[in-house]
Amino acid sequence: MANYSRKVIADGIGYSTIIDPKFKTNKVQIMFITDLLEETASANALAIGIMGSSNSRYKNISEITAKLNSLYGANINVDIVKQGDFQKLCIGVTSIHNRYALEGEDISGEVLGILLDCVFSPNAQNGEFGKEPFEFRKKDLLDSIEAEINNKRGYAVRQTQYFTFKGENSENSSYGTKEKAQSVTSAQAYKAYQKLLSDSQIEIYFVGPEENNDIEEKISKAFSLINRNTDKINFINFSPVKKEVYRHEEKLDVNQCKMVMAFKSDNKDGYAMKLMNTVFGGTPFSKLFLNVREKLSLCYYCAAGYNQFKGTVFVDCGIEEENIKKTENEILNQLEEIRKGNFSEEDINNSILSIINSLKSVGDTPSSYINWYYGCFINNEVLSPSESIERYKAVTKEQIIAAAESLKLDTIYVMKGE
Amino acid sequence: MEIQEIFCSQTGDKCNYIKHPSGLDIYICEMNGFSTTEALFGTKYGSINTMFKTKADKEYTVVPEGIAHFLEHKLFENEDCDAFAQYAKTGANANAYTSFDRTCYLYSCSDNYLESLKILLNFVQNPYFTQETVDKEQGIIGQEIKMCNDNPGWKVLFNMLQGMYHCHPVRIDIAGTIESIAKIDAELLYKCYNTFYNLHNMVLVLAGNVKTDDVITVANELLKSCENIELETVFPEEPYEIVKPEVSEHLPVGSPIFSIGIKCRPLSGYERLKANMECYIAGSIISDPSAPLYKSLIDEGLINSTFGFEVFDGDGFFTLIFSGESSDPKLLLSRLVDEIERVKAEGLDKSLYESIKKSTYGGMIMESNNAEAVAGNLISAFMSGVEPYDSIKALSKMTYDDVQKTLNERFDTKNLTISVIV
Repeated sequence: MANYSRKVIADGIGYSTIIDPKFKTNKVQIMFITDLLEETASANALAIGIMGSSNSRYKNISEITAKLNSLYGANINVDIVKQGDFQKLCIGVTSIHNRYALEGEDISGEVLGILLDCVFSPNAQNGEFGKEPFEFRKKDLLDSIEAEINNKRGYAVRQTQYFTFKGENSENSSYGTKEKAQSVTSAQAYKAYQKLLSDSQIEIYFVGPEENNDIEEKISKAFSLINRNTDKINFINFSPVKKEVYRHEEKLDVNQCKMVMAFKSDNKDGYAMKLMNTVFGGTPFSKLFLNVREKLSLCYYCAAGYNQFKGTVFVDCGIEEENIKKTENEILNQLEEIRKGNFSEEDINNSILSIINSLKSVGDTPSSYINWYYGCFINNEVLSPSESIERYKAVTKEQIIAAAESLKLDTIYVMKGE
Repeated sequence: MEIQEIFCSQTGDKCNYIKHPSGLDIYICEMNGFSTTEALFGTKYGSINTMFKTKADKEYTVVPEGIAHFLEHKLFENEDCDAFAQYAKTGANANAYTSFDRTCYLYSCSDNYLESLKILLNFVQNPYFTQETVDKEQGIIGQEIKMCNDNPGWKVLFNMLQGMYHCHPVRIDIAGTIESIAKIDAELLYKCYNTFYNLHNMVLVLAGNVKTDDVITVANELLKSCENIELETVFPEEPYEIVKPEVSEHLPVGSPIFSIGIKCRPLSGYERLKANMECYIAGSIISDPSAPLYKSLIDEGLINSTFGFEVFDGDGFFTLIFSGESSDPKLLLSRLVDEIERVKAEGLDKSLYESIKKSTYGGMIMESNNAEAVAGNLISAFMSGVEPYDSIKALSKMTYDDVQKTLNERFDTKNLTISVIV
């Protein structure tokens, strides 16, 4: 495993380095974490998008890509995700190590300079972003919102989240609504950008084969010029269960029906919850896969996912219309089996092995390193993957049963053909 | 048994190659510092291999569409238990996939990789099909087909291929149709299995946390020697010309999505790889975000950042694909065709040529950082009939004139199909 350290370089800004000599690349990632609100989600999404496609030196996507291509295909990536009640906006850059430069170029130095300009010196004047990157990203954002329907499985889960978390921040989409995205002006996006720099929680990661003090120094210096004002974030906000199960049906021109069931829990034992979820529907030997798919041939996929931020388990599947009720009953039946303790020590051990398998591979890619240590930051506890493995091993069958018993059905969403 | 080291002078990477006495080709890349082992056991058998014979057959056998994929699903079940149940005991994350030209069984794990390797070699070499288990699978695969039919990205590609290819089976969906898979029975599955799952037609690849000697020990223990059955697969005669220039379908989507395919003459082996790389560079010089076309299409509002280019090729097909979302795909097409013709006449921009080549080289270095990508590249090289690292070799030998020549010869804008989903 790598050499990891995190330090606070300013109010609400963490800078982490992960050094692992096997890598041939350098990766720098900056994450802005802020409340996910309908009012601001689209403007924030635009701001990070503009940062990722231009700066004061390279004014638009064409100019910046031309420069990055000449730096051996260094790529700037932007990511906008929902994490519970928060919106996480990331900008990062990956480049190959200087030793692979064919003409002795300083790839990492130049790439860092470009990233810093994207974040601290954007293409903007008089409180507005430049027209080109703004129009480019606005069209992209609107198209992305409209294209959510292209992926039916993802769309079904997002719709279910909307009904499951009604009235909470996490009902919102990470891109915001079409109406809001349409109405955002360049000046509003610029204000959102300034607010991200000053008010959001910021986590910065560097992953590379060797220490690079230049990065920390330059980033710290740039942030020292910004007046920071952040509140501490509580990432975990369990969602209250509805008094009555909410059912929603949507008709679309589709061949296959989708069903998503949301179960809420108030169980704070995260290790037991994740292990229970794995036994229930997290692997190809889980209860849901073996029964709903293999035994009853009802579907191609039926899986369970645990959202640790909201204490909610989502089960989703793609089925025939005439099998909707039968599938719902079988999913509930399999949950009941776990509640009754009808699973073996072997089921538990195999589920733990599957979790161990993914935890032990954390160090094999720069992104999985970052995800791991970001998870530690969220949970306010730095653990190595092997320490985490010990926690899973300590979970008892009774704890898994208790985790299953804590699940209450909250929402069922069904997508049907027209 | 000789272990041959294959070295890449451009990156310093290396891997081991073993021609196993059983007939199997084995490639192993030991990657220091990695915890994960990626393993793939693959056969040159995909959805396009619907017509074949061996030296024992007089006539060609023609099988239902989707049978390679069906076979992949069924191979996971052995007589006593299924492969997933066995992998559950090692913790490996196992899967399989079928594409146009191959079927691969894979796992990724961070412990017990030799135990998992034994499971992999065992279940793939021990088929067990009964009518009952075949019937059960029809429902599961039926749902997979329906799921794909609701995926506009999938539909836009196959609609395009059907607009381009008259009879080459690349035009059919990998999973077949509900009707075609209904014709599959246990006997047909055995026939296909015995033909294509011959070790002379297969490859084993491991990358990451792995030791060559240990893999060879397990291979010696479990690989069953196969007689070379002299497998021949054939494809129907495919004309150079496309079927029709336009295909359109209505499905729930946001912005209309499009896929534009230029049909080219097929090639094989290193010649195909070389043409693939040259086309990739030429197509990128035309469509990359740093190219003038991209900027003008953005300014006109005709594309968004999903616009992209790829080369799609295999046994008997070679296609250049521009795809993305557009409010006016036909106007976009005319702009694209004009630009291709302009660049043919005026010549490729030299600085774009240099920077795209550098960027492609950087992408290859980045891939060599990742065990999954390394394993994937090794298996692709085998399936394409080239050596590992031939891509980077082809890139380093490439000249500007090669790319210009390829552009002029292969980007035939009179032989293209546009597929649109609105």
